[in-house]
Order: sequence, then C-alpha cells, then structure tokens
Amino acid sequence: MISLQLHTINPNSSSLKTSSFPISTSSHYFNSKSLKPHFKSTPYNTSTIVSVLQWNRKPQLAGETPRVVVITSGKGGVGKTTTTANVGLSLARLGFSVVAIDADVGLRNLDLLLGLENRVNYTAVEVLNGDCRLDQALVRDKRWSNFELLCISKPRSKLPLGFGGKALIWLVDALKSRQEGSPDFIIIDCPAGIDAGFITAITPANEAVLVTTPDITSLRDADRVTGLLECDGIKDIKMIVNRVRTDLIRGEDMMSVLDVQEMLGLALLGVIPEDSEVIRSTNRGYPLVLNKPPTLAGLAFEQAAWRLVEQDSMKAVMIEEEPKKRGFFSFFGG
Amino acid sequence: MASISTSIPLIRFQSNSFKLTNKFKRQILATGLDFRPEIRLLNCNFSYFNKKYRKKERDFVFRVCCSSSEDSDNKFVGNEVEKEKDIVELEKPVGKLQETVDSIAPILFGMKKHISTNVAVGLCLAIAFVVISIREYLIRKSRSNHHGSVEDLVKRGQLRSDRRGISRPLKYDDPFNNPLVKVSKSNSTVEMCGKVYRLAPVTLTEREQSNHQKRRSRAYQWKRPTIFLKEGDSIPPDVDPDTVRWIPANHPFATTVNDIDEDLAQSNVYQKRGVPFRIKAEHEALQKKLETLQNEQKLSKLVIDPGSVKDFERPFKSFSSHETQDGNDSTPKPDGSVNSSESTTSFDELQKP
Repeated sequence: MISLQLHTINPNSSSLKTSSFPISTSSHYFNSKSLKPHFKSTPYNTSTIVSVLQWNRKPQLAGETPRVVVITSGKGGVGKTTTTANVGLSLARLGFSVVAIDADVGLRNLDLLLGLENRVNYTAVEVLNGDCRLDQALVRDKRWSNFELLCISKPRSKLPLGFGGKALIWLVDALKSRQEGSPDFIIIDCPAGIDAGFITAITPANEAVLVTTPDITSLRDADRVTGLLECDGIKDIKMIVNRVRTDLIRGEDMMSVLDVQEMLGLALLGVIPEDSEVIRSTNRGYPLVLNKPPTLAGLAFEQAAWRLVEQDSMKAVMIEEEPKKRGFFSFFGG
Repeated sequence: MASISTSIPLIRFQSNSFKLTNKFKRQILATGLDFRPEIRLLNCNFSYFNKKYRKKERDFVFRVCCSSSEDSDNKFVGNEVEKEKDIVELEKPVGKLQETVDSIAPILFGMKKHISTNVAVGLCLAIAFVVISIREYLIRKSRSNHHGSVEDLVKRGQLRSDRRGISRPLKYDDPFNNPLVKVSKSNSTVEMCGKVYRLAPVTLTEREQSNHQKRRSRAYQWKRPTIFLKEGDSIPPDVDPDTVRWIPANHPFATTVNDIDEDLAQSNVYQKRGVPFRIKAEHEALQKKLETLQNEQKLSKLVIDPGSVKDFERPFKSFSSHETQDGNDSTPKPDGSVNSSESTTSFDELQKP
C-alpha cells in the first residue's frame, strides 16, 4: 500500500491546509494563479515533484473517533456504493473498526456488493421497533471481522421520513457507547438525489466524500450537493473522481481530473480509473480491494482509504498512460 | 571421403580411354597413379583456395571431362596424333580434377559444421516455440477463470440455477507492501499493475477553494428540512416554510405518518442487553393469554367432567397433571404411581396412529 505525498522544491509556494485537522500532513501545494492546469500549455514540470512512498506502516488515524463519513454524489450510478464497500473494507484491512450504514431506504445494494445479502435478517427499523437489539442488526463480515454492516430498512418497509435523521443520530450514539468500544469509522452510504434519503444520511455526518465522474451531468449534481452539504454545516468535503479513462483524457474526449477539480474546487481524496474488474467484483459480492492480484481500481481505493485515515489529500494525479519501455526479452514474457 | 571422390573421376577417365591403345593406357594409368601422392599433397595445399576459384576449376574440369569423353568416341579412333595431343591436353584436366577433389573435401567438412549449427538453431527455435506456446496456454487459462461472471451469480443464488459451492475467498494479506506500485526515480511517473502513468501536480490553492465555497453559498440557499408533510397538508403555524419537505402521497418507501413512539424507539436503540422490547412485549402478551386460557379451563373444570378435559389437553398433560395434583387434593392417591401411569398412557397414545 502506498500513498503519494508530493512536495514542492520551492519553499515559498502557498500551502493549502485541507482542513483544521490535528495531523498536519507535510503537504505543500503548487502556487498557481490561473485556474487552468499547467500541463496543457507547458510540458510537465516533473522536476518539482518529489514523492515519498509510505511502505510498511500503518496510517495514523486523524480526528476524533468515530469519524462519521457520508459518501454522497447527487447523481446516481457514479459509484457511491462501490466506493463505500471498497473504502470500508480497505479501512478494515488497515486495522480500523468500521461500521458501514446503508442509508438507502428503498434501494439498498451495499449488502450485495459485500456479499452479505443472505445474512441481513434485521435492520435499523427492527431495532427502532424493538424487534432486535442493535448488536443483532449489525452484520459482521467474516473476511474482516472489524467490518460491520447495518442496513436502514428492508426494501419493502416504509420509514417515517421525519424520523430517519434522528434515528441515525441515535444509532451513531449507540455505536459510540457500545461495550466493545466505539468504531473508528462510521461510513454512511447515501442514496442518490437530494430527497429525504439524502437528508437522513447526512444528518449525523461530520465529513463527506463526494463521488463524481468526469462528465458534466455528474459535475453539476456534485456541485449542488456540495453546496447543500456546506449549507448544512459539513465543511470537510473531499472528492473521489471515479471511472477515469486516461485514453479518453489523452484524446481530450474526457475531462481530466484537474479539470474536474478546477470546476468543483474540492480537495482530491482519490482518482479511480475505469476498470472492468468492478462489475465482476460486484457480481461476486467480493470488493475489489480484496482481489488478488490487486487491480488498478482496487489500488486506487486503497490509496483513497489511506488518505481518508490521515485526512490527507492528493498532491499529484495520474494524467495519462505512457508506453512502457519493454525489455529485450519482453517477447518471452520478460 | 577424399579417396572415394578421387577414384570416381579416375574410373570415368579410364572408361573414356578404354578404346585407346595400350601405350596411352599405360600413360594414362601412370598419370593416374602419379596423381595419388600429389593429391595428398594438394589436399593440404589447395584447401586454402577460395571457393570461387574452386568452383570455376571444378566446372572447367567437368566440362573437359565431358568433352574429352565425347571426343574420344568420335575423333580418337581415327587420328592417333590427335589423340596424343588430346591425352597431353587431358593431363591438364586431371590436374584440375585433382584440385576439384581437394576443393570438395573442405566443402564437405564445412557442410558437416553447418549441419551441426543448423541443428542447434533449430533446437533453439523449437524450445522458444514450446516456451511461447506454454506461456500463451497459461495466459489463456488464467483468463478463463470466470470470477465475477454469471456463473458466480448462479453460485450466489442470484440467478435461478443449481446452487453450487461458493468459491474459496481470496485473502489479500499485506496491504502495506504492494510490489505492483512503483514510482520512478524522478517521481514523474508511477507504474501500477504493469502500466506506467505520468504524474502531474495538483494545482488547487486555498484561495481557489474558498472562492468556490463563496460561489456555492451564493448559488445554493438551503435549510435542512425539519418537517415532512404530505402534499396537500397545511403548514403548521410555527414552522418555517423553507424547512418543509413535501412528500408525494404515493411515495414508494417514505411515509409521513409518524406512529412511532420516539422515546420508546430511542430506548430500543440504546438497549445493550436483554430481550428486545417488542419480543418481550409479545412474550408477555402470550403469557397473559395462556394464563387466562388456563383460568378459563379451571373454571370449566368445575362444570365439565375433568376426565373428558384431560383427553382434550394432550400437549399440556403433564402440566395439567401437576395442576390437578395441586388443585384436587381430595382425589385419593394410593401410591405415587400417578406420574408413571400417566407416562405409560401417554406412551400408549403416542403408539396409536
């Protein structure tokens, strides 16, 4: 697992504190007056980039626990649930206790992505009704026992709308005060849209991860959702740009990640390349980050999880694929 | 090899000169004999000649041989003088024949060498072919692993088919040490999963970020809805209309009807141990119902014959027997064999179809 940290050689460059976090990452941003990314007009000034690899160490948890993170997007189908499943399990693999809450009342899917659909007997609605206790409704993942899933409701049950937000706050409080200790992360998978489900999901959250794809429809929704989150008092918002295709960016058929950042003005938590393995992992109910050998998207999710733990953001992005220099014996597989 | 090759032209030469006189024969034979030691000498001397020269010589000699044979048939018979001349001339081709023989030997030797190298090259190519084909086979085999395919959906019971065993889960053990990610020494590129990507620095500044926040705060004025009302409902007087969320009456999974007791719900969520509220309540209700039933039965026992009641109470037989024990003290019991007799009767009843 790596995380890229990039430092400028120039010490006078303006630094951006991504948030008022207790751990200050040794990150310095690049001083640029114009919003346009530099790499279009000038060749990449790669000499200024110095990256540090983080090998063989556990990321340091920043902020107060439990960190309540809502994963939202506005638009549907951009990868909120995939992000929740992969980031959640990455965090569990990094050694943190995680509770993932599927706040999509009518159309829950997180259990499918995690392969836990046969084990969801009770949901939060049953807890509220007194049919079961909270610990009975939490579905513990057998692969990583420090990962638990809580679904809000069964697909056909109706939840009183004015009640969802309050219920989630109670649930978070109950999780904080449980016997085995408070979880490090509570990740809430938000439904699409800005309806009642969205309002319910963002109610207990302290920070938000905005998932978007590099297309204008998704960006417009993302901008609106960011505005609503900021109105609601959630200031710590980072974005994950999903389904990035470097070949299309190269041909200028797709916006680059830096273009997306220029439009939204949010710190980058991760860039996830388009990967055919995503659909296969969805079908299998086995998140990408558990794939062996690891896939490109899985690695990107791991890095995003790493940054989420340390409340860090990306300092450099992958922009295009370079032809790999092949050796003499490459024909034989060398 | 050399000796064999030399003998062939000699025989031919002899056959050509078969019709000649004995004198010539002797001469020819003599010359033929005389060649032999020279051949050996020339074997080593001419082996260094270049191939072109040898080829020319050989062609020339063969031509001479052929012409001599034809000439011998036609001309030598009649004209001895001419034959003499021809024989003298023949001596030259013989010399060249000797050279030819010499030149053939190294060629053959060289051919031997060529054959050995060709075999080696062929072997290498064969090995390379085998290696490539094995590699291709392995790659195709690895591709044919259909993880995440429809087959997996079948395995997981998402599709209707025979449910087979779920595949063994993969464990990715070490998230901290990933050899598939390499950053170049100049930090300008990163290699992930065998693909090299160019890196570019992020150019977002704090100022830009705050500008975006200001823009959004101007663009989106929003208050979190605090009350959810069905379309058509009237707004309560003390509620800000901006915080009202209107829900359509036919919403598939949302309802504005709030029939949940909030305090009770909260206590349910905070409950750490023990029986959940609803289960407990249902259990208590059942218990009460049962008690009332039993009380009714007690009352009915006063009216109805207790023996007939016993027949209707098979599941509660042991329980009712205790009840009767406690309740009907007046009934005489000669010994403590009531339970045993009841157990036998119950056993008999079980035996009946």
